[in-house]
This record gives sequence, structure tokens and C-alpha cells, in this order.
Amino acid sequence: MKITWNWLSQYVDLQGLTPKQVAEDLTNAGIPVEYLAPVATGIENVVVGHVKSADQHPNADRLRVCTVAVGAAADLTIVCGAANVAAGQRVPVALVGARLPQGPIGKSTLRGVASEGMICSASELGLDVRLLPRDQTTGIFVLPADAPVGESIVEYLELSDMVMELELTPNRSDCLSLRGVAYEVAALYSRKVSMQAPELRTPPQEKLPLTVEVATDRCMAYSAQVVSGLSLRPSPLWMQTRLLAVGVRPINNIVDITNYVMFEWGQPLHAFDYDAIAGGRIIVRDAQREEALMTLDGQARALEPAMTVIADPEKALGLAGVMGGESSEVTANTRAVVIESALFDPLQTRRTGKRLQLRSEAGTRFEKGIDPAATLPALARAVELLCAYGGGAIASGPRLAGAALADVEPGQDAVRQVGVRAARAAAVLGFAVDAGQILSVCERLQFAAREENGTVLVDVPSRRPDIRIEEDLIEEIARLVGYDHIPATMIVGPLTGGELSRAQYLTRLATDHLIALGMQQVVTYSFVSPTVAERMRLQPDDELLRMIPLLHPLSEERSVLRTTMLPSLLEVAEYNVNRRRVDLRLFEIGTVYLPESLPLQKQPTERRVIAGLLIGQVQAPSPHGESRTIDFFDVKGMVESLLLRMGLEDKAQYTRSQAPFLHGGQAADIETAGSAIGLIGKIHRDVCANFGMDLTDAFYFELSLEALLPLVRDRLRVEDLPRYPGVSRDLALVVSRTLPVAELLSSVRSAAGLFLEDVRVFDVYTGEHVGDAEKSVALRLSFRSRERTLADDDLQEPMAAILRAAKSAYGAVLRE
Amino acid sequence: MKDKLLALRDEALSRLEHSDLEAWRVEYLGKKGELATVLRGMATLSAEERPVVGQYANQVRAVLEEAFAARKAELDSHQATLREQAETIDVTLAGRISYLGAEHPLRKVIRRIEDIFVGFGFTVEDGPEVELDRYNFEALNLPKDHPARDMQDTFYLTDEILLRTHTSPVQARTLERRCPETPIRIVVPGRVYRRDDDDATHSHAFMQIEALVVDHGIRMSDLKGILVQFARELFGADQEIRLRPSFFPFTEPSAEMDIRCIYCHGDGCSTCKQTGWIEILGCGMVHPHVLEAGGYDAGSLTGFAIGMGVERIAMLSYQVEDIRQFYLNDVRLLEQFATLTR
Ligand SMILES: [Zn+2]
Repeated sequence: MKITWNWLSQYVDLQGLTPKQVAEDLTNAGIPVEYLAPVATGIENVVVGHVKSADQHPNADRLRVCTVAVGAAADLTIVCGAANVAAGQRVPVALVGARLPQGPIGKSTLRGVASEGMICSASELGLDVRLLPRDQTTGIFVLPADAPVGESIVEYLELSDMVMELELTPNRSDCLSLRGVAYEVAALYSRKVSMQAPELRTPPQEKLPLTVEVATDRCMAYSAQVVSGLSLRPSPLWMQTRLLAVGVRPINNIVDITNYVMFEWGQPLHAFDYDAIAGGRIIVRDAQREEALMTLDGQARALEPAMTVIADPEKALGLAGVMGGESSEVTANTRAVVIESALFDPLQTRRTGKRLQLRSEAGTRFEKGIDPAATLPALARAVELLCAYGGGAIASGPRLAGAALADVEPGQDAVRQVGVRAARAAAVLGFAVDAGQILSVCERLQFAAREENGTVLVDVPSRRPDIRIEEDLIEEIARLVGYDHIPATMIVGPLTGGELSRAQYLTRLATDHLIALGMQQVVTYSFVSPTVAERMRLQPDDELLRMIPLLHPLSEERSVLRTTMLPSLLEVAEYNVNRRRVDLRLFEIGTVYLPESLPLQKQPTERRVIAGLLIGQVQAPSPHGESRTIDFFDVKGMVESLLLRMGLEDKAQYTRSQAPFLHGGQAADIETAGSAIGLIGKIHRDVCANFGMDLTDAFYFELSLEALLPLVRDRLRVEDLPRYPGVSRDLALVVSRTLPVAELLSSVRSAAGLFLEDVRVFDVYTGEHVGDAEKSVALRLSFRSRERTLADDDLQEPMAAILRAAKSAYGAVLRE
Repeated sequence: MKDKLLALRDEALSRLEHSDLEAWRVEYLGKKGELATVLRGMATLSAEERPVVGQYANQVRAVLEEAFAARKAELDSHQATLREQAETIDVTLAGRISYLGAEHPLRKVIRRIEDIFVGFGFTVEDGPEVELDRYNFEALNLPKDHPARDMQDTFYLTDEILLRTHTSPVQARTLERRCPETPIRIVVPGRVYRRDDDDATHSHAFMQIEALVVDHGIRMSDLKGILVQFARELFGADQEIRLRPSFFPFTEPSAEMDIRCIYCHGDGCSTCKQTGWIEILGCGMVHPHVLEAGGYDAGSLTGFAIGMGVERIAMLSYQVEDIRQFYLNDVRLLEQFATLTR
């Protein structure tokens, strides 16, 4: 919402105030002023001139030599290149020595003729030409014929008027009008609002009859009046410059007046061509099924019963509160208009506007709600201006219909009573408030109020629909007393210990651990492209395919919710690989969204996943010998250390994974006690290629945080240190090359008896000393007793049992 | 005999430096060495002479042994020096450093703010990102078709299920779950979504942190007290703040908190648009309708809520101009955070 200082000063006394001060105080009162600047700056010595003659330049086809009177003793000779310059015009003239936004004007000679200044275009004056009528943008800026010759253009066009742009919060729709802002400013400085509500007048004779009928409950009030004898022409310049300053395009006197009054009173108005209304009968009703309307923008609109139309007995004339129809548009042939000032259902206006994608200044105001007390004054004001600046005369009495206007006394605000207790205000705000203070705040707001048994009863006028409950009035008190008046205190109440949940704590632990392992945390979007399914080689029955679609995505690229972190991390990898960063160790603790079914019936499961992607060298480059490419066991080592750190010790099992996006021979599902906790593996080469990377060694892991949560160890009882030394034995077993070592180890463990403390694989050999289909697995077995030092004899039976078990289960042979 | 011993001593000492040390020891101090030979000749001496010469001989032995030890130490030290010279490396060469790794700046900011509120005695709460209309809007005093819903264009998944537009539904959920318990003191970090086209200052997904207090006797001055302390912990001990009236459907009275511009300290610069202040968060007293939707009696309890954008604070703190930088994950940018200690 834009306003100007001069315009505002018409309704409230601004004596002794500066725009800067008012802007600051409005901001501190909750009406932020986003922008404050003159209409145009940097203009000096530009005056209104009268073009006495405009003759062809002797040496240039496109130039004219003009004689221009500027109110000084001598006329000026000015060379002008604009095609539209003509004798008799009033124009802005930059005198020699003048300043314009783009620089100073000096004396110049154009093709042999000396020019004593410049005739200016609108854009040269710094006006926003996008809003000007086309004929005013292509050449010099032609002023009205009554422009006083010699007057400063800054004065004449009010270019030094200050424009303020208010950034209104949705509750302050009252400030979508100068009236509302005037009340606000008046409250800030305890001044009075001087805004006359003109009275509706009835002509002695009804020249053009009009009837109004409301046949829907979505129109709360409808008022209208006919004005005849109008001539369509530009509105007065002061009105045009004000509209321009607040960002409204001047069109003609009728349209400009409806806009001007809307800014003044906050009430949108509409003008219909009287002759287009069959029988002079206006009916406000719900649209009919399959009804159509050609709107002002030239579009044929299909109407629905959920929309409200203004109609005559034969046809729809316009969409209530949204847009007028072409058939009743005001044109140069219009001899009389019906001015409408009405209240339409905010929700209905909003829905229709959204449905047809039509947004307008009027629509915005209807959606936020209009003060019923402004409806009739706005109608009267528009009629008054049409008579004054359109040559019109009142041709019908005002017609009123609808429940909302029934109980409104013209010029009198409808009120709502809200009570506020001083004690409650003090308790909420934290500083002392008494009834006297509240009454004085009400007086500043120009709300009638009285105290009764400790409660101040406030008659809140209809112009402030945002004030409905006690808390709203408490905010008004705080606002006008000033938020800087609120002290800073400490909460009174029991002590509470702040804490993280277990999941949050675990998230931090995992984050810190992975960072210590040299991994870089990333944060990626949750939306991915549905094409990731194919790029990840997912099969039709894969449950990762169940990606929830957004109803209205912004782009196909980000239109479904991810079910795995892999595509997100691959996108990050691709971005960085393209920038030649090929050693990447990325991780994210992010969310994946797993629906129970699609289409979605209920909220999906949101699973927190620790995911990592690693590419490149195992070590940062150093001068101490060659590094090597990261491999499966580097990554598995990181996962194992993370699981250990989280207290999972040896509980995880790794079994060959069938995940289609991983390498067929280098991928594992990770389980504990039969339930899946994640997976790890080399990313399938085609998947890398599908994400724009020609890579053979990219690794991925993911762990479900939720699955880990119940397994985490968060208590520890320290074990007594052993008193007796341990004994270790090495053992090399030759087994089938395809036997998973984990299976061999588990059979060793279960056969080894009580003394076995630990067993580790320290070498796996394949080659000439064993058969082609075999491998030799070297184990180091550690034994210890808690009661005594073990002797050689104690180990004979366990070692024999291990061999027997390995032999019978896997055909293992002792390697000599 | 005595002269013989003296001559032997002098000869041995003079030869020490130029002999192989071990050969020298065998020759003079060994069991079959010169000194032993001389001593064996003592048998021929008289009983009176024997102790005198014996004592003398022991003195000579001691002198020689001492000389031997000194020479040995000298040679050992020389050997060690030679060995170290051979083993000398260039200590200016870089070590085998492992990759550093770093926390993402947005996570860093969240962790700091969580820690500040945990220090205030708040519990960190989570909630779902895929929310029901009921919790995201209705329980927060935003009925269907409320014009304020326009402030937050929403990604819907179905008519009733949506991606939360703020972390505030966790307020509603917590109140509903914990009613009638008091006090409620929670802080809620999380990801939120708005149907905005991505540009330098907008992102369709971003992060918020929300704080909520509900108890008997909570005042707006308590809110200000928390905010003053929060701003000091986050931006420095002398950080000034101000509150301005604002509007949120779920708070009344509502406020916007500005901090004194951290770049120009109030003189005016481009970051603060010459105002000397930077808007940092929204807050207010919990709207009675929100308390009631959670089952609490708005007549006897009050509360306050605070909500802030994580990206905004990160952009200000680290002088990042474009919000999209946080989601591009260019490691050249992220790595810079590896060396930031807080
Ligand atoms: Zn600044």
C-alpha cells in the first residue's frame, strides 16, 4: 500500500511532523514503512512553458525550433526532437542551468540553431512511464492547457511529495485506505482526523431509473446510484499525479475517480455503462451453471454457482468484487454510469479470484474485509467527484440493499464492544497498566470507552475489524505506549533442565563422529524428480518407487518426496565433480518419506537416515608416497566405527545385497537381530552415469537412525580388568573361496569354548599355495581365563574343537 | 716398579685417542693386559713395598678406566650424531593429514541455538514435516480460507495433508500431548516448506527454529528477557535489540525483533537498508485460541512463542548473499566451515 504525504495531510493534521519521523513512528507501531522517497528527485529549474510556435528546423528533418514562453521577460528558443510537440501546448521546460535526474542542462547548439533549454518527456522528469498512457510516454510530456506558465514543475506536479510504501500485516486491512492511515497517524500523535463523509443526495427528479435487488447471501450490502451527462476525458492532473505516485495507472476520469475513492475510503467501486443494463435493473445473484461472461480483459469466463455475479434480468454484467464484464464497460459513448459500492463475502471473492487467477487492488480489499461504514460515504464521494470532474449530474436516487447496511447510520461507525481489564493487561505485558492509561489510549484511537467495575468497555468501530478480543486491545495498549516500554524480566517458575531427545543426541553423536572421520556434512532438498527411479535402476515392485507426489509442484525436477537419500547425494556429487572436486566424502542425516500406500491416505513414516557417499582417494594428497582409491572396506570401516561409537559393538551382520543401484558383488545389507538397519556398497556404474558421472569407484551407505535407536548403549558398567595373562594362537584354515568369512568365524566362536576372548582375521590368502577354488584364512585366537593363567594343555581341546567344527561345517583344512 | 707403572700410564694415555678402543682396553686393562702383567710382577717385591706399589697400581688402573669411559662416551656420542645426520628429514614437508570434514553451516546454527535454549532450560522437540492441515493451520488460529494463509503458500499432498509451512504445528502437537502439564518450555528446530520460487532470498524449503513457553504468569516482559539474553549469546554481549508490533495469527500481542545492525552498529549500511536495525525473528504472546485448541485454560495461563529462520541467521552470521548457496553444497564453500570453532 502506497500513500503520499500531501494526500495524507488532507485528512489529518501533520503540522510540525516530518515524513521521516512519521515513517519511523509508524514502523515502530507495527505499520512498517518499507520505502520513503519523493515522487521524483534531482529536478531544479524546470518550469511550465507555453509553446508559442513550433517550426521546422532549417537543417534537420526531425527537429523543430520552438518559441517557448516561460513566464520570463523573453521567450526562449528551444530545439526539440519529439514528434508530438505542437504550438499551443503547455510543456515542462528545463531552463539552461536546470537539473534533471540524468544530469544538468546547458546551452547547446543543435545543427546550427542555439537551444536555450529542453522540453522534457515524462521519463526525463523521473516519472514511472510504465503507468502513463501511451501518448504521454512516446514524446514530450504534454500538460493540461490550464497549467500556469512559469510555475515550477516540481510544485505543479507535486514531484517533491513524499511517497510512503506501507508493508501491511494481514490484520491491518484498515490501512489499505488513506482514511485508515489517517486514524493511525492521528493515534500516534493524539491528533484528530478531519475526513468529511459526503452525504448521499437524491435528485428532485428521477431521470434514469434504477432498481437494485440482492438475491444471494454472499453479498452483504449493495448500494448504487446513476450519474448522467458524463464526458469521458482525462481526470484532473492532481488526481493523475497522486494515482501515479501510489502506483495506479491513470485511465480516464471515471475510472480514475473510482480508484481515487478506493484509496481514500478503502471501498472498491465499480462503474457500469447504464445503457448496458437491461431495464435499469441490477440483480446480485449466484452464477448459474454453464453461464458465461466476457470479462474486461477480453477473456471468456466459464462461471460456476460458487461465484457471485452482478446481473440484469437478461445476463451477467460482472463478477462481484473480482472483475467487470465487457458488455457494460464504460466507453467514449457512455452517457450515464451506475456507480456500485458494495460489500461482498471475503471468502467468496478470494476463491473466485484464485480460481480465475485474477488479482486486483479491489479484490485484495474485498478479501481482507471492508468497513461497512465506508460503503455509503464512498458512493457519495464518487458521485460528488463525477459531478465535479466528469461534468455529470445525479440521475437517480441512491439505491441500497442488503442486511449489512440496514443498521448503519450514514456517517456513523458500527461498533463492537470489547472489554479489557487493566490487571489482565498488566499481567500479560509485564508492566503496570491502569484504567486511566487504557482510556487515554482509546481516546487516541478515537474509540469510545468507559470504565465499569475495573473493566474498560471499548466501543471498537467497524473500521478496526482486527480488534475482537481482550488480547487485541492489550496489543493496542502496548503498541501505543510503545514496545520499548516493555521491560526485560526473567521467567518466574520451576527450574527445568533443558535436554535433547535421545534421537537428537544420537544425531549429534553420528554427526561429530563422521566429521572426525573426515566427512563433509551436506543439506539437500527433500523433493526430487520422479526420474530418479529409473536412473537408480529401480524395478517396478521396488518400494522405493512409492514417492509421494506434490499436488502442485513448482517444477518436475522437484515434484516428489524422496524415499532414499541416494539421489540427493548423487546430485551433490555431480555438482562438485563437475567443478573438478573428485575426492568427496559427503554425508547427510536427512529425512526420507515412506507412505503406507499411494494415493496418500495418512501421514507417511518419516525416517531419519544417516547417508554417506564417498569418491576418490583414501587419503588427502601428501608428499609421502602414493595414495590409493577408496574401496569397499574403507567405507565399511567407517560404518563399523560409527556403529561401535553408537554402542552397537559386534551386533551388525552384513549379507550380500540385491539393491539394484549397487554393484552386484560389492554390496551388503546391514542387519541386527534380523531387522534391517541399512546398506552399504559400491554404486552401480550405470547409476553414476545416469547422474552424469563417469565413475567406477563411488560408494554409498545408509543407516536408519530409528532402527539404531533401540540398540544404542547409553549405560556402562566398567568391567574388572583381567588378572591373568591371555594366550594367543594363530590358525590358518583353507576353505572354499566363496565361503563368507563371517560364517567361518561364527562356527569358530561357537566351538571354541569358554576361554575364547577374541578372534580376528589377520590375513586372507589366495594364490599358488592353495587350490584355485580355495582361500586360506589366517585367524588369531585369544584365550583367557578369569581364574588362572592358562596352560598349553588348556588350549588343546578348544583348538581341536575349532578344527573339528570348521572341518565338518565347511570342509576346512589346517594349512601347515 | 713405580716408574714402570708411571711409564705404562703415560704410554696408555697417549695412545688412547689413536687406538681402536676395544683393542686398547684389552691391551692395557684386560686380564692379560699390560697392567695385569705389571701387577703379576709384584710377587717379586718385598712385603713393605707390596702395599705401596699395589695402591699405586690401583690408582693407575682407575685413571685408565676413567680415561676409557670418557673416550667411550665421546665416541658413542659421535656415532649418534652421525646416525642422526644420516636420518635427517625435511620437517617442513606437510604431514599425512586426514580429510578434515565439517558441519554444514545450517546445522551449525541450529546446534548453537538449540544449545542456547537448552541452557535456558528448554527441551528440544521434533515433529513431522508432512503435517495435517489441522495442526499446521487450524489449531494455530488459521481456519480454512483465512487470508493469512496467503502469507504461506502451501505444498499440499492431499486436501488435508501438506508439507508444514512453519515449525509451529509442533506447538499445537506438544500442547495437545502434554496438556494439562506445566510448565511447557520447548525449542523446535526443523525443515519447513513454502511454495515460493527459489531466488536469492527465497527457498521452497528452509529451516526454522521455534520456541514456546506456557505456564502460569508468563508475561511479554519475560519474552523480552529471553530475547535480550538470546541475542547476547548469539551475537555478542553488547547486542542491542528492539521489538516492533507485528501480526501472526497464533500470537497476540505479536512482535518482530530487530537487532542493532551487526555490520554498521547502527550507523546505516546496505545490509540494514540504512535503518541501523536488522529484522531477525517473529514472536508474541500465545493467542488464547491456540492455548484453547491445546486444551489449556487461556484465562489462567499465558505463554509466549518465538520463531526464526535459520538461513537468515546463517546468511547474516557468515555474510552469505544467496540462500541457495546453502543447498548447492559446493564443497569449496562448505569446507570453509571446517576451521570455524563455534
Ligand atoms: Zn547496517
